[in-house]
Amino acid sequence: MKHVSKRFPGTIAVDDVSFEVSAGEVHALVGENGAGKSTLMKMLAGSFDDYTGDIRVNGRDVTLHSPTEAKKYGIGMIYQELSLARPISIAENLLAGRLPKRGPFLDRRRKASQAKELLARVGLDLDTDLPIEDISQHEAQLVEIAKVLGNGPCILVMDEPTSALSREEVERLFEIIVQLKSRGIAIVYISHHLPEIFRIADRVTVMRDGKKIATKPIGEVSREEVVQMMVGRSVKEFYKREERRIGEPRLKVAGLSRFGFFHDLSFEARRGEILGICGLSGAGRSELAKVLAGLDRADEGRIELDGAPVKSATMAQALGQGIAYLTEDRKIEGLALRLAVDDNVLAPIVDRLSSASIYSKAKGAPVVARLIEELDIYPPDPERTVGNLSGGNQQKVLLAKWLASAPKVLILDEPTRGVDIGAKMTIHNSIEKLAREGCTVLLISSDLPELVGLSDRVMIMRKGHFTREMAFSECSEESLLLAANGEGSV
Amino acid sequence: MAVGIEKAAPAQLPAAQEGGDNRALGSSSAGRLVSAAGVYGIAVLFLAIGALLQLTGIIRGFLSLQNMLNIVDAAALVGIVATGMAFVTYSGHFADMSVPTTMGFTGYICIELLRFGFLPALAGAIAVGLVIGLVNGYVVGKFKANPIIWTLAVNYVTMGVIRLVWVNKQIYPDMRGSGQDAVALFDGIYRLRFFNLIGLPVVILVVLVVLGQFVMTRTSFGAKLKLTGSSLRAAKFSGINVERMITASFVLTAFTATIGGLAVTSLSRVGAWYNGAGYDFKAVTAIVIGGMTLAGGRGSILGVLGGSLIIGLLNNVLTLLGVGTFSQDMIRGAIFIVVVGINAKSLRSLGRDDA
Repeated sequence: MKHVSKRFPGTIAVDDVSFEVSAGEVHALVGENGAGKSTLMKMLAGSFDDYTGDIRVNGRDVTLHSPTEAKKYGIGMIYQELSLARPISIAENLLAGRLPKRGPFLDRRRKASQAKELLARVGLDLDTDLPIEDISQHEAQLVEIAKVLGNGPCILVMDEPTSALSREEVERLFEIIVQLKSRGIAIVYISHHLPEIFRIADRVTVMRDGKKIATKPIGEVSREEVVQMMVGRSVKEFYKREERRIGEPRLKVAGLSRFGFFHDLSFEARRGEILGICGLSGAGRSELAKVLAGLDRADEGRIELDGAPVKSATMAQALGQGIAYLTEDRKIEGLALRLAVDDNVLAPIVDRLSSASIYSKAKGAPVVARLIEELDIYPPDPERTVGNLSGGNQQKVLLAKWLASAPKVLILDEPTRGVDIGAKMTIHNSIEKLAREGCTVLLISSDLPELVGLSDRVMIMRKGHFTREMAFSECSEESLLLAANGEGSV
Repeated sequence: MAVGIEKAAPAQLPAAQEGGDNRALGSSSAGRLVSAAGVYGIAVLFLAIGALLQLTGIIRGFLSLQNMLNIVDAAALVGIVATGMAFVTYSGHFADMSVPTTMGFTGYICIELLRFGFLPALAGAIAVGLVIGLVNGYVVGKFKANPIIWTLAVNYVTMGVIRLVWVNKQIYPDMRGSGQDAVALFDGIYRLRFFNLIGLPVVILVVLVVLGQFVMTRTSFGAKLKLTGSSLRAAKFSGINVERMITASFVLTAFTATIGGLAVTSLSRVGAWYNGAGYDFKAVTAIVIGGMTLAGGRGSILGVLGGSLIIGLLNNVLTLLGVGTFSQDMIRGAIFIVVVGINAKSLRSLGRDDA
């Protein structure tokens, strides 16, 4: 791609960028949210019919004005959100649009064998008649890759392919990427996760504000340099600890069970404490959070807040007592994307802003203004539709919503998943500030540096049980990872 | 005053900051007014078309006072029903298809109870209406039944009940005997006119619109309903009791459907199962023409009032033109499709619809 640009009304999303990827190469593309990575790749996928500049595939000038054209030239895209139809079988998803036929009828035997063959390429051995909704997210992600491979691409674009995968699953994905490389496929790898990029990529291109900053062989840059190029400022230290005062016990959980998900969990969290909860996906972390937040019922056990038993049959009740829950699912459970920033931020406190059922949004305006400023939400416009904000800013709005409710206990479930480094730092600062002000924070995260950097203590959760507790001094990325996997000394 | 602060807003002073906020709030309600005004623009256009048709001699009597009153009266019946149903649409549950037989059924109940006096009859009819709304809301809210399918089923079940109980007969208020006073009052629901001009249904409509607009924009219920309609799950995860919101919106619909049903029954002086026929679709059309999106969470009651006026004007002009009832249905259907299409397209191009 040479000197390509794409304008949207009011902004230039991609400004005179040149980008190349060679056969058998993994070329990482990084940048903060809104830097233009996705737009650049959408041009390649034929999503726009009005870009400027030239695109060449295998030395040939091509015009990519529709997804069909892009497909024809061998460009395959794997998006963040899966494009599979959930109630339909694996085979039908894989072979969509080119199901084998015999005469006017479907050739079932060939359908199964072709599907099996495609699955084998990504190292899966599954019944191809299973519907997508019956297989795990990780398997679905691999099926998605198999589907794209089925079109015989020579260029493969992966946009945050690991954001929904656990660590073991990421490993398998990497093995597959290495195989694809050896088959001469050119891979563009978009990710926020720098360690991944340093493991898998051959070259890295950094974008910022729609412009290309640099392209470097991976061996010639350090992680810090990449971060610096991304944010445009020097990031000396990711986590600078400020002294926090940890007060008296606030939340006490004893013998809490939800059968089939977690069993006999007991712990205590104090005022001003950030308690990390670490575990692989499926360990029961989110399930615990949902019970504490009143979204699910516990089968056994007690929850106490400031010495009084918590009644949390509904989320409204839990919220009323000061327990708030930030969901990991920003787009569906977290935010009303069609509404404005202020409507979303004030959602949990509508009743508090009302007297005699008369709602005063004006009373909430200073709260929204303060949070927009504190969290540096961009653009700083309370009436902007949330769906039009970048992912990082959406996540900030989600946090703002719970900060507005001024909870005693805030449960954060993956508070920075899929957001850029700038937004992540802002969110982390805000979490620390909240704890300094005396709020008890339960931090559930798969991001190990985040857990290590923020937590005062970390509880390790494995297969529905707490297996270990680590003080801040014992925590490192390695020790947490080993413990979560059930290894390491106890 | 607000303008002065706006101009002086190179934001440094706290006062300037506040001014900025006021402006923001002002512009959003201004935006609502503009979109509602668009509907009234169309209404004026229809009025102009009618006038033009009369001036060119194609239709007669459009511009007479009596005809204007006819238009407003017809619009009032649709508007009363649409004002309540708009809450269901706003909550993201499209429409309540049980409205026609709710109107019919409550008419029967009222006529039957007139022998006990007017107020008991009124109360009985409203109580029955509210029960239907409560059932609809509970089933749709709690069990997540598809609102269209469920209310459609309720519509037919209620129809069956009516025809079974009254052995497929229409009933008439007893004009002689003890309940005469009550019957006279019942007759007045549609016929009472203030200053010989404004009918009671029109007054009821105005009251309902003012109340509805207030509830939707100024109360905590309205704010929570907006969240529920925009994203059910996000509302639930904000600690809002979405089931209660949904139930309330169906109860409001049933309430206004009952009022509308009583007015229609009073007009025809007969209890008949088909009294409310067509009001479901007329109301939905008024709602979408009024700028409320079927996706939920957006629109206003003022807009719905405009939509109802347009429906009234359209019917009137078409009737004067000599267009038959069936052709009118066809035209209404076509307009509905076009409006919903434009609406969906403009939302999508704004990038605001996640559907």
